[in-house]
Amino acid sequence: MNIYVINGPNINLLGTREPEIYGKETLKSISKKCIDQGLKDGHEVKFMQSNYEGEIVEWIQNAITEKVDSIVINAAAYTHTSIAIHDALKSYSGFKIELHISNPHLRETFRHVSYISSAVDAIVAGLGPDGYSHVIELLADLQKHYKQKK
Amino acid sequence: MKNNKLLIMNGPGLSDLSNFNEMGYGQLTLDTVRKKCAESCKIFGLKMDFRQTDDEAELSRFLIEGIEDFDALIINPVGHSHAASVDFTIYSSAIKTITRQNKPVIEVHISNIFQQGVENTKPIHVPKCEVGFVSGLGIHSYDLAIRAVNKKLSKN
Repeated sequence: MNIYVINGPNINLLGTREPEIYGKETLKSISKKCIDQGLKDGHEVKFMQSNYEGEIVEWIQNAITEKVDSIVINAAAYTHTSIAIHDALKSYSGFKIELHISNPHLRETFRHVSYISSAVDAIVAGLGPDGYSHVIELLADLQKHYKQKK
Repeated sequence: MKNNKLLIMNGPGLSDLSNFNEMGYGQLTLDTVRKKCAESCKIFGLKMDFRQTDDEAELSRFLIEGIEDFDALIINPVGHSHAASVDFTIYSSAIKTITRQNKPVIEVHISNIFQQGVENTKPIHVPKCEVGFVSGLGIHSYDLAIRAVNKKLSKN
């Protein structure tokens, strides 16, 4: 299985940016954990981060043409603004999960609306940086589960 | 290994899961969910108490009085998200109390509660508290929450 983990603006600052909210773990460390977690079950995880909305849209479009099995997306602040990312996700038919390190619903009102949530299958938030590896592990379990069913 | 106790609380309406679009488990019932949760808890050595009630007063009383006996809470407050008649403060005050005791709390939903649009949807609102949120993974929403609870407890 191929999995794209797509990260939005400011996530490259993890570890130093408001550690009381986002934790002390760096993006590099999270990325390594995701890739290793995937490899354990024989899955290829591509971990990406961009501060540019258009680049994120293009990665989702790539996932469509490359027939990537699953997208995990932490669109960060674009979650609350980007109809372009919503539309791109709508066109992608693989399994897609919206991920957040903190729980946006417990924070400022401007973070309560997500343009991503209605375009994805599932939402996982507020589990800290560990949320990433939990999701990768779960995707591997889900795939095993469906294989058994077939 | 410390035998941590996890409370899995299911709110009003969850006794009947026939409306839910299950994910590969045939006809989804609350008992199927309970069995799956028991399996996952067993793997992590967690003691599980799995409850459901249609009575919100009972639910909040149990959350407030019963939580002493538990180390973590997973809650599916389905009515909270969809029914306008629900008293939101019942959930938020109980959950605030629990998070202040430094016990992991995760809100779970079987379906993606935002699919009907954001206007109708209200996740549990306890500002400045730490509450995890998992929605839309079917029966696996509980799975992921149990995994996360175990990880959080192992760090405490």
